[in-house]
Amino acid sequence: MTAASAPIEIAQLRKVFRQTTSGQSITAIDHLSLRIEPGELIAIVGKTGCGKSTLFDLLIGLEHPTAGSITIGGKTPYDDFNAFRGKIATIFQQDRLFPWRSALDNVKLPLELIGIADDVQQERALTWLKRLGLEKFANAYPRELSGGMRQRVAIARAFAVQPEILLADESFSALDEVTANELRKTFVDLAREFKSTAILITHQLEEAMAVGDRIVVFGKSATLLADVRMSDWDRADYPLLREAIQNTLQANVPDARLRR
Amino acid sequence: MISSLPRETIISIVLFAMVWQIMSYLAPSLGIPAFAIPGLGRIAESLTKITPLDVAVTLGRVLLSLVVSFVIGLLVAVLMYLSESLEKYLRPMVRILMAVPVVSWILFAVLWFKGVEFRIVFVLVVVCAPVFTVDSLDNMREVSRDLKQMIRSFRPTPLQFFHKLMLPAITPGIITSWKITLSLAIRVVTIAELVGAVTGIGHQLSVAQELFSVADVFAWTLVLVVLLFFLEALLVRLETHVLRWRA
Repeated sequence: MTAASAPIEIAQLRKVFRQTTSGQSITAIDHLSLRIEPGELIAIVGKTGCGKSTLFDLLIGLEHPTAGSITIGGKTPYDDFNAFRGKIATIFQQDRLFPWRSALDNVKLPLELIGIADDVQQERALTWLKRLGLEKFANAYPRELSGGMRQRVAIARAFAVQPEILLADESFSALDEVTANELRKTFVDLAREFKSTAILITHQLEEAMAVGDRIVVFGKSATLLADVRMSDWDRADYPLLREAIQNTLQANVPDARLRR
Repeated sequence: MISSLPRETIISIVLFAMVWQIMSYLAPSLGIPAFAIPGLGRIAESLTKITPLDVAVTLGRVLLSLVVSFVIGLLVAVLMYLSESLEKYLRPMVRILMAVPVVSWILFAVLWFKGVEFRIVFVLVVVCAPVFTVDSLDNMREVSRDLKQMIRSFRPTPLQFFHKLMLPAITPGIITSWKITLSLAIRVVTIAELVGAVTGIGHQLSVAQELFSVADVFAWTLVLVVLLFFLEALLVRLETHVLRWRA
């Protein structure tokens, strides 16, 4: 697998939506600047509607910034859309599997899109299904699988393209706690093993702390309230850290305890 | 085939046949000419005279026209889906095409074109293609936004986007369109064949009408109905196979 080679640089990013009905403008992201190093596992946490998912769409390249930029190795995911084919993969809150495709064919989908040979597609998709414990369900349709199994297929689909950047938007929040914990661990293990830059967007602080090497806390309009490196904190201080981030999220102002 | 029919269907068909036969007996005493309601024996005799060539010709015309209609209809729908401004221009035209009565199209075809086969295919295509366009476009618009976002995140080419997502996603809707247009085409082809055609079920119906043979009209109509049911049954089998993921 190709390890991520370039940082993600977000500079003065701004995204404004104009409501079609009222004509009012909504600032989803207001002058966000952030640098994400290659291979970093970062969790972005914030309340619902704080602009996390808008950032997700901008990082995928499905939205264009109103101002500012996102650059990865000198290219932008929206203007140089095709340059990122096979380099960015996504895992969403819902599995978003094609119901007409078997588990195996769903995992093969991104491989088909990047034009990998049929036999390699088959082999690689099977390898990933096996890795996620689904080899016996390769020919099952999504409706025949449980929610956790479907999400595992979605993870296999994302990793099958050997992405440099992996984006996960609330990917485990729709699952029961046991399954969610299991899949979070799988996600972290795989991202570390393949040195992908992984960005998990979540509204759950516990999840952010379980997954991220670094936790970025967003306030309203993706205002950067805190940027915490877990390595700066002793495990014994995690309860304090949790409390400080919670305080930050509730008050929508940075907590002094987070400055290290 | 008959054994697979529900009991209620068989009973209603048998009841209809009985009522028809009774009416056939009673017709002369009610002042209705005997030829107007022929007995089942007379109709059976007409059925033995059905010429398979005419059935095959009509079937060929219907299938060819439906394939051409489907290709044109889908292509126009894709263009309308891709371009909002093109849709604004084409949608009124499509709606106008759908509002024109079949008889008017037949008259236009007779006035505009010489070849009988071309006239029939033209009428069928102009009637069926807009149905495919409207249905396909509506189905494309209803494809889940989540699935569109998911596949776009993997950066497909426009062709891949349609081939991998849109076509499979609208397949259930397309099969429903085929069911609708099949029944429409069977009815329209008969009318189109009445004008100028020298083969086909419509032509045979026209001959039967000239001969005042209600038995022949009944027999050919029966063939049309059975043909429609047969084609619909094939479509249902295809649907069961193609949409097995929905089971």
